[in-house]
Amino acid sequence: MLKINSSELKFIAQYIYDISGIFLDESKAYLFETRLSSIAEELGCTSYQDLYTKAKKDTKKTIERQIIDAISTNETLFFRDKGPFELLQHKILPEIIDKRTSASPNLKTNIKIWSAASSTGQELYSIAIIIKELIPDLSRYNINLLGTDISDTAVSQASYGKYNKFEIERGLPQKQLQRYFTLFGDSWKIKDEIRAMVNFKKFNLMLPFSALGRFDIIFCRNVAIYFTLPDRKKLFDKIADSLTDDGFLVIGSTESLTGVCPRFVPKKHLKSIFYQKKL
Amino acid sequence: MKILTILVVDDDPVIRRLLQQRLKKENYNVLVAADGYKAQSILQEKHVDVVLTDLMMPGDIGGIEVTEIAKNINKNIEVILITAHSSVDTAVEAMKKGASDYLEKPINFDELFLRLDKIANVQTIFRSAQELQHAMDVTEHAASETIQALEMKTAELQGLLDEVENILRDHDSSEEVRITRALDKISGI
Repeated sequence: MLKINSSELKFIAQYIYDISGIFLDESKAYLFETRLSSIAEELGCTSYQDLYTKAKKDTKKTIERQIIDAISTNETLFFRDKGPFELLQHKILPEIIDKRTSASPNLKTNIKIWSAASSTGQELYSIAIIIKELIPDLSRYNINLLGTDISDTAVSQASYGKYNKFEIERGLPQKQLQRYFTLFGDSWKIKDEIRAMVNFKKFNLMLPFSALGRFDIIFCRNVAIYFTLPDRKKLFDKIADSLTDDGFLVIGSTESLTGVCPRFVPKKHLKSIFYQKKL
Repeated sequence: MKILTILVVDDDPVIRRLLQQRLKKENYNVLVAADGYKAQSILQEKHVDVVLTDLMMPGDIGGIEVTEIAKNINKNIEVILITAHSSVDTAVEAMKKGASDYLEKPINFDELFLRLDKIANVQTIFRSAQELQHAMDVTEHAASETIQALEMKTAELQGLLDEVENILRDHDSSEEVRITRALDKISGI
């Protein structure tokens, strides 16, 4: 495996930060090596300096995309941690639906949900499955489910909705697997009725959110941990701006907003925490 | 490394005995079946890591069917087919049904042992990955409980601080009253 030296570590770390906002500390040389060496070798680079020069020169940004794909972690599961999904099913969705329908009982109910680091789509499809099971008559609702991720590969895999048996077996109950997926060779593909409910697109969380609109529910789990504290503060401040006043924010179960964003208050429901804006 | 349990399925008693002896000598646990039916009942009763089966056997259950039965019982069972050179195409068919490899007759034992070593390696790695995953889940769960309890406590204290600040800034009351009320608030912690 191609070895990285300390001066390369510095500018590669800076470069990765510039293109993705992901902050990798210079002590993690192994991480740079395990994730970037195959790209470097494939391109015939003799050093990481060489890879950096090639990436900067590449006007089509193919190398940049490959580096983002390699660096961003894509470990995700269907219904990863039961907590957030139980929260969604038993607390957040019923409350939002109740509020929106009683506010305008004769109109279609609009609900916008955003999975802010959707990776290969498991989280958003899990949300779609919950909605499908919770709301029998979807025609009375306008439900907008958006998943965004910084990795092109993750976004296209999410859009395609095909998973191998290892990706699918952990987390997804057999009943839901049978109901919402079709066996496709050795893999499972999400059925059209669920696929049609969601949209995926590439988005860098370092950018302004204004173009995305306002959401009733935002899932932003296990992504801010890769950012520096100042960037984490900016991220949750932008999330607060993008959330309706009575909206809900769900973060990763080992994450905290203490010292990050004073605009949110944590609230507990059963064994899980969600956040709402301090009004 | 894990000691594999291997089920040998072959209708030829000579090959069966040969395989059994060589595998035992290499320290594998060996079970034998003379046909597909016997193989099926062993697979249903005992834990097997690898099935080593002849592709062509008399009766309705051949190597392909044994592969399907094994994979249905436990998808982690690896199947190696033993085949005559002329039936390589059928062996490839069986691999589509989940067999992991095939060996041509006459059996080259060095080759067989190499493949079994590889399977044992993969199964060991697979098991440690599962154990690591489990350890990670347990750690993550414990960490999340601590972090969430802290998060709620911090929010409660922040709320209390805000109230104390409001009391102290309440210029309608005398300084003494404000301090007494603030202290009352704090003593609740």
